[in-house]
Amino acid sequence: MARSLWNGTVAFGLVFVPVKLYSAIESKTVRFREVHAADGARIEHRRFCSAEDREVDSDEVVKGYEIAEDVFVVLEKEEIDAAAGERTHVIDVEAFVCVADIDPVFYEKTYYLGAGEKGADAYRLLHDALERSGRAALGRFTFHNREYLAAIRPLGKVLALHTMRFADELVPAEDIELGAARQAPSKRESEMAVRLLESLREDFDPKRYTDEYREAVLELIRRKAAGEAIEPPEEEEPEPADDLLAALEASLGDGKGSRRRGSRGRGRGRGKAKA
Amino acid sequence: MARPLWSGSLSFGLINVPVQLFSAVRDVDLHFRQLHAKDGAPLEVRRFCAQEDREVAYDDIAHGYDADDDDQVVLTDEELASVAPRKTRTIDIDAFVDLADVDPVYFDHPYLLAPSGDSEGTVRAYRLLLEVMRGSDRAALGRFVLREREYLVLIRARDDRLALTTMLFADEIRDAKDVPTGGRKPAKAKLDGALALIEALATDWDPTEYEDRYRKRLQDVVKRKRQGKRIKAPKQEEQPSPVEDLMAALERSLEAARGGGRTDGDLARLSRDELYARAQEAGVEGRSSMTKQELIDALG
Repeated sequence: MARSLWNGTVAFGLVFVPVKLYSAIESKTVRFREVHAADGARIEHRRFCSAEDREVDSDEVVKGYEIAEDVFVVLEKEEIDAAAGERTHVIDVEAFVCVADIDPVFYEKTYYLGAGEKGADAYRLLHDALERSGRAALGRFTFHNREYLAAIRPLGKVLALHTMRFADELVPAEDIELGAARQAPSKRESEMAVRLLESLREDFDPKRYTDEYREAVLELIRRKAAGEAIEPPEEEEPEPADDLLAALEASLGDGKGSRRRGSRGRGRGRGKAKA
Repeated sequence: MARPLWSGSLSFGLINVPVQLFSAVRDVDLHFRQLHAKDGAPLEVRRFCAQEDREVAYDDIAHGYDADDDDQVVLTDEELASVAPRKTRTIDIDAFVDLADVDPVYFDHPYLLAPSGDSEGTVRAYRLLLEVMRGSDRAALGRFVLREREYLVLIRARDDRLALTTMLFADEIRDAKDVPTGGRKPAKAKLDGALALIEALATDWDPTEYEDRYRKRLQDVVKRKRQGKRIKAPKQEEQPSPVEDLMAALERSLEAARGGGRTDGDLARLSRDELYARAQEAGVEGRSSMTKQELIDALG
């Protein structure tokens, strides 16, 4: 396991659980660095003062918050850090809420919590009690110089910690206009849509889906390294369907067969399991 | 309504629902510009070739990838575009899964889908999909191309809208097997004690009860600085030591949570800010330099 990102204590009541925080997510997106196309040399980002047109050292840099066009309140790093929050070593549990009530849209980033020094029994107790109660612990803590609201819930044998979005960060559903249909979907349309949904039902198996784009980029890198010429792609047009009922009927067709037809022509496997 | 990030159609079976995609989150963080300390002028970032020590135009920048054998492979924008998935302008629904089977750990960025335009057919098809998914607690899995790359996405009903989230792939979730856990299976009395404590502190989830205190404090720092005030960094908090006797700690916590008068337990659950406010009320001397524990001791 990689090194822990943060060490601290989960405090609920007077029970202190020493924990270590680990990243649960490891992006596999292929990353490139900027290079000069002509000679392949590294590109450096250098800071220039826009007034003096000369390069500025990192110790000459301050941060500015723009309060009007080109008017800044200047802040030193220490002043910004003063807002970080004091709970740099404790996740103080404020409440326990039903995991099922938290819409996952509030989960921002996921971490694992591991047991800290001498904390294995307390960790296990918190894990088992959360699992049994179906609840998540909500608390705040300061990490990387900012305070987060976090939800801690059991995930298999470990505890997962999600940093949480705040309610005012979410776009209200009312902002997304639906338009009113003059007619609600008919009973027959609903029934057929349910049948269509059932015919496409599968168990969720995350391992069946692979990142085809990542694979394509890695393959491109291999081909380029081998000195191959690379050619540009073609575009494809969608085919619209007007008659909802007719489309439902055609989609249902003869069950499984229609599904193949439905996705034919768009395909490059589309992440389906290779049976 | 904000500008859509993408528009196309949502396609399941032979049904195409024209839709527009919007981010479900908005950026409300405070953003800072880098300034030159001396004259307060904003800084510009310029790109320089490290080898030639001269400025490079944006068009002359390519993408470097370190191959395993320390050899660098350089790709141009055009070459990279050659593997960009074909822009089908459709979100193809491959399958419907039980929403409860998809752990939110797979969820990446949240979006919302709106019907494109208000034609009868579009709105009805959108509502139809919304209704059947809501009624069955199912979610749709599909793929689509946004900004040059293909995503696996999950679409579900949320707040009377179709919500879409991009998904992480299974190999992007770290294996938890090396996360230290251990610990003995708790005795029944301990587990019961912990469950009782959880119930005592249980509330309904109401996201509007939580505000981003960091953002607020940062706004406050900006405001105070604007008024020419000095900003002092707070003290670092000390870490409490693990409890030796879990059972005793549970019992004392329960007593405190059930409101057995003003005990240490009550105070310990307050933040230093809250304790400080109480210390101010009580006129505790030297409170500004006290740690959280010292404040508890002084107030207890």
